[in-house]
Amino acid sequence: MTNHWIDLKNADVILIMGSNAAENHPISFKWVTEAQKNGATLINVDPRFTRTSSKADIYTSLRSGTDIAFLGGMIKYILDNQLYHEEYMLNYTNAAFIVGQGFGFKDGLFTGYDDKKRSYDNAKWAFELDDKGVPKKDSTLKNPRCVFNLLKAHYERYTPKLVSTVTGTPEDKLIEIYKTYGATGKPGKAATIMYAMGWTQHTVGVQNIRSMCMIQLLLGNMGVAGGGVNALRGESNVQGSTDQALLFHLLPGYLPMPSASIGSLAAYNEKFTPKSNDPRSANWWQNRPKYTVSLLKSFFGDKATADNDFGYGWLPKIDDGKPYSWLDIFDAMYAGKIRGFFAWGQNPACSGANSNKTRQAMAKLDWMVNVNLFDNETGSFWRGPGMNPADVKTEVFMLPACVSVEKEGSITNSGRWMQWRYEGPKPLGNSRPDGDIILELGLKLKELYAEGGTFPDAILNLKWDYMSGHRYDPHKVAKEINGYWLQDKTIGDVTYKAGTLVPSFALLQADGSTSAGNWLYTASYTEKGNMSARRGQEDAPNNIGLYPEFAWCWPVNRRIIYNRASCDPKGQPYNPDRWVVKWDAAAKKWTGDVPDGGWPPLQNPDGSPNEAGRYAFIMTKEGHGQIYGPGLKDGPFPEHYEPLECPIEKNLVNGQRMNPVAPVYGSDADAHLTCDPRFPYVGTTYRVSEHWQTGLMTRPQPWLMELQPQMFVEMSEELAKMRGIKNGERVLVSSARGEVQCTAMVTKRFKPFKIGGAVIHEVGIPWHFGWRWPESGAEESANLLTPSTGDPNTRIPESKAFMVNVTKL
Amino acid sequence: MAKAFFIDTTLCTACRACQVACKQWHDLPAEETQNLGTHQNPPDLSDKTYKLVRMNERVIDGQLRWLFFPEQCRHCIEAPCLEALGDPAAIYRDPDTGAILYTRQTAQYDADAIIESCPYNIPRKGADGSVYKCDMCNDRVHNGLLPACVQACPTGAMNFGERDAMLEMANQRLAVVKAKYPQAMLLDPEYVSVIYLAAFPPENYHEFAIASRTPVGVTRHMALRKMVRPFAAALSRLG
Amino acid sequence: MDVSRRKFIQISGATAAGVAVSHLGFDLRPVKAHAQMLKTQYAKETTTICCYCGVGCGAIVHTSRRGDGRVINIEGDPEHVINRGALCSKGSALKQLTENTNRLTEPMYRAPGASEWRQVSWDWAIDQIARRVKETRDAAFEVKNDKGQTVNRTTAIASVGSAAMDNEECWLYQALLRAMGLVYVEHQARI
Repeated sequence: MTNHWIDLKNADVILIMGSNAAENHPISFKWVTEAQKNGATLINVDPRFTRTSSKADIYTSLRSGTDIAFLGGMIKYILDNQLYHEEYMLNYTNAAFIVGQGFGFKDGLFTGYDDKKRSYDNAKWAFELDDKGVPKKDSTLKNPRCVFNLLKAHYERYTPKLVSTVTGTPEDKLIEIYKTYGATGKPGKAATIMYAMGWTQHTVGVQNIRSMCMIQLLLGNMGVAGGGVNALRGESNVQGSTDQALLFHLLPGYLPMPSASIGSLAAYNEKFTPKSNDPRSANWWQNRPKYTVSLLKSFFGDKATADNDFGYGWLPKIDDGKPYSWLDIFDAMYAGKIRGFFAWGQNPACSGANSNKTRQAMAKLDWMVNVNLFDNETGSFWRGPGMNPADVKTEVFMLPACVSVEKEGSITNSGRWMQWRYEGPKPLGNSRPDGDIILELGLKLKELYAEGGTFPDAILNLKWDYMSGHRYDPHKVAKEINGYWLQDKTIGDVTYKAGTLVPSFALLQADGSTSAGNWLYTASYTEKGNMSARRGQEDAPNNIGLYPEFAWCWPVNRRIIYNRASCDPKGQPYNPDRWVVKWDAAAKKWTGDVPDGGWPPLQNPDGSPNEAGRYAFIMTKEGHGQIYGPGLKDGPFPEHYEPLECPIEKNLVNGQRMNPVAPVYGSDADAHLTCDPRFPYVGTTYRVSEHWQTGLMTRPQPWLMELQPQMFVEMSEELAKMRGIKNGERVLVSSARGEVQCTAMVTKRFKPFKIGGAVIHEVGIPWHFGWRWPESGAEESANLLTPSTGDPNTRIPESKAFMVNVTKL
Repeated sequence: MAKAFFIDTTLCTACRACQVACKQWHDLPAEETQNLGTHQNPPDLSDKTYKLVRMNERVIDGQLRWLFFPEQCRHCIEAPCLEALGDPAAIYRDPDTGAILYTRQTAQYDADAIIESCPYNIPRKGADGSVYKCDMCNDRVHNGLLPACVQACPTGAMNFGERDAMLEMANQRLAVVKAKYPQAMLLDPEYVSVIYLAAFPPENYHEFAIASRTPVGVTRHMALRKMVRPFAAALSRLG
Repeated sequence: MDVSRRKFIQISGATAAGVAVSHLGFDLRPVKAHAQMLKTQYAKETTTICCYCGVGCGAIVHTSRRGDGRVINIEGDPEHVINRGALCSKGSALKQLTENTNRLTEPMYRAPGASEWRQVSWDWAIDQIARRVKETRDAAFEVKNDKGQTVNRTTAIASVGSAAMDNEECWLYQALLRAMGLVYVEHQARI
């Protein structure tokens, strides 16, 4: 989230699309309700009428997988009706930038497409630069090659009529929503978006979200109270685990994973440190080398020196351009290329797309380590459906982790708030905190490698002093993540002593004099104490629910990011009643939230430019919000493509049926069928309020099983009638990859869609079940049906739109 | 001063935190349920389920509504069950909170008769013969805590406090809600300590959302006064 | 009043006639006194953050100071500024996540081809796992890739997880995996 949970109350319009917040983030509705009580309009767009829809002022449905068509139509409506916030757009976004001649778009393809590699050369989409190397701009927006005009041209096709025939949403509902949302382009008004996996789990996932970012930038809704682009993250610490980089392509703090062609730290810094020639662009990532070296110092301690590249050579390298993502792991495992596997606090036998492939892949392993609270479908895969234990040669170690209330440590919520929690009871039985298990394993490996082995340096040099009294000490790790001064250092008139904690990432150094396990968390645990444990009840002076002394949030406790964009170029808030920051000209500083940089506003009070000012979007190289995004794999503007499996032969918007660069896997377990009469209905997956993720932490609980005891499929009364299915009876839902028994829930909350003149039915299933719990074994995972394809940028699987059949048992 | 709940069904998201929080606080076991083609579960109140969010899909004036009704004992101001039974060892009112409380002594009576006496069809018989229902978390209330269901509620659908304050809140919300839902009403506010605000006619939510009026137009309140006496005399302790 | 509701007069009148025994005068004091004492009265109180979704609601954990030292109650923390005491159904069931007889409480091992789990010690399990890592890693370690570039990695071991761990644990885990040379490192955020 660019904003945070409480901030939802500040919105004038809330769009819930691609999420089901009332069910899956139930407490968000405390603040959604607060906004509605203050007069906000709640809009909900979802293929199915949900508990969220029941509270919406405006609800409409759309066919799964057509969000870009829906949002593209909104972009066109905003442009046609001049609803955009012009001053904001000109000052804070790249709307006025001139795009180079290399960019073009035809028949659903952007320029630079290589159909053999199924990829784009996105260098073709670059901006036109002036002689200083700064993108050219036309603030009059007359240049036909400026982003604004290219945007207009691109979305000209997205008329309400076309959008309606693609999405199945009635035209009058489209217009009502476009008008209501677009009205927040007025200065002082704010609209926010609450999305989740309903947008990410598509072959066009990133572009779904990009579409909304573009709308928010056009309307001036970024950086303001009640605005932003807000991903509702589904796990208590999935924000933190992402920040700490349990992902193949990242190191902690969003530092790119080094690749094989980058042989030295100098080459790494050269490649990943962006250079801006515009003196007014803060270009924050120019600081990257400080964060990289500080991270290496945290990894390897005293062993990391300038002479050995701070241990850069000990880090593993990925091959350039090769993905090592979830889908790729199980593809390689299915091909027998992976021998050992850790499933640590996760249940891949149910959680990833195409679970049959995942489960079969596990049988090819030599060994597996499964760490969890409960036995699960992963640890016990060898005795699951269709498995003969005698044939499965995989050794499995299953280790009992303790529950979160039995240990101490921090987690980071969706609003980037890092919060500390404490040990209540001791771990049950012989269960242990994950931290203890990780430390013990590391110590044992160090012991083994001390006796010799292949490339022992990385393991032996790893700094691993995080125990107190033979037990994992979370405070020691939290301090390491924050970072230390490793030498006495004087900066300005302040001397920082070696061994003390670094107070802010602005002070981190590239010379090895600081450590920081994650620069984004520097300032979270300082000499003033553990900031994440704070419980301050006072709001900030702007009284918009920031609660700056309650817990701590990254970066540097800034509760709303890009907050200087909430002000006009003179630093005065567009909304004086719900201001986030404002420039105090007399004191020469910003007040309110922690500003995203202390520079003065772009303009002096008389409107003359202030050269000391910096653009608002400090994390982009050019300092501007990206309405045009040339850095993605599938185009600088979002374009509608059909899912891998869809119910219509032809994309009604352009000549490409599906995203031309989406990954498609080719093993014999990767069947997919589109427009096939055997699988005539759109299928989608979702969650319910009473279970969580694969259900492993809810299915063993009788209280929650009472509420949602069985796998179900929701379908319209029309479809049920057509198939002779009665409410409450068991049916079979099948796809090209598998089948699952479900209880039919025949409901008015699903309605057939009219798509391109045809009637299309959609059904929905929750993905919370699996054979291990309940012990009947009769309830299985929805992911037995989902395809292994995904977004080309993130490679998140397309679990939200695929084709199924529903038959009576 | 007696306490009251104000339950604003227009704000209920059916997250069912109240249902679980009730079980959690009272250490009540789960029921073994099946999916019967609805998200609502269990199907009914029981000796293990004192609070139940009823869920109904209705098309009203051509528009689909999904109506949620967090059902519980109304803690009637003049409780027919209490008045009918006439045995404070089995059913009594806590004068401090207004909670209507059932004890194990209810096992001494015909449970069906106690259940039948309730115009809202709330109490349920347990395996031990006692009769069970919501106790207003009377222990929590006496210790300055909110009832578990109210504390758990995210949206402000569930509220609890002094009766006057709750009535005021109910009337304020009614005025606001009426602008959007002209048929909105408070359900039996004079007679109960659990005041519901419904956006649509109560029969859309649940058969027993209100105590219906008698055919001759006598209000339930008056009917109760007339009926209770003979009932109290007749209802007796089982052998 | 609903007709079926009113039937009780006739029915109960008929069935109960003739066994009228009054029970007035029963001493209610013990019943009341018990009802007014909280089960959490003498418990240790700690705060936690709910382990389910990403909202980050605060909860209070009441742990018995006597006997087994287990959880008596978990409920929303009224002083938490996000949830103000509220929780959802899952958060309200946190006690049952903790005090759950289905939980794993001992390390278990399943040998190749075996049809049963066998309980093992922590020391044995950690030692064996470290040895498996070392054997697999050493056998399949790639110092250079096909192009001759230095990569110092192994693709023979993969890891998934976990957003269910604390920040500090995630950080430690990724550090260890990278020191082991893993590049197949993924978790919930990818799906």
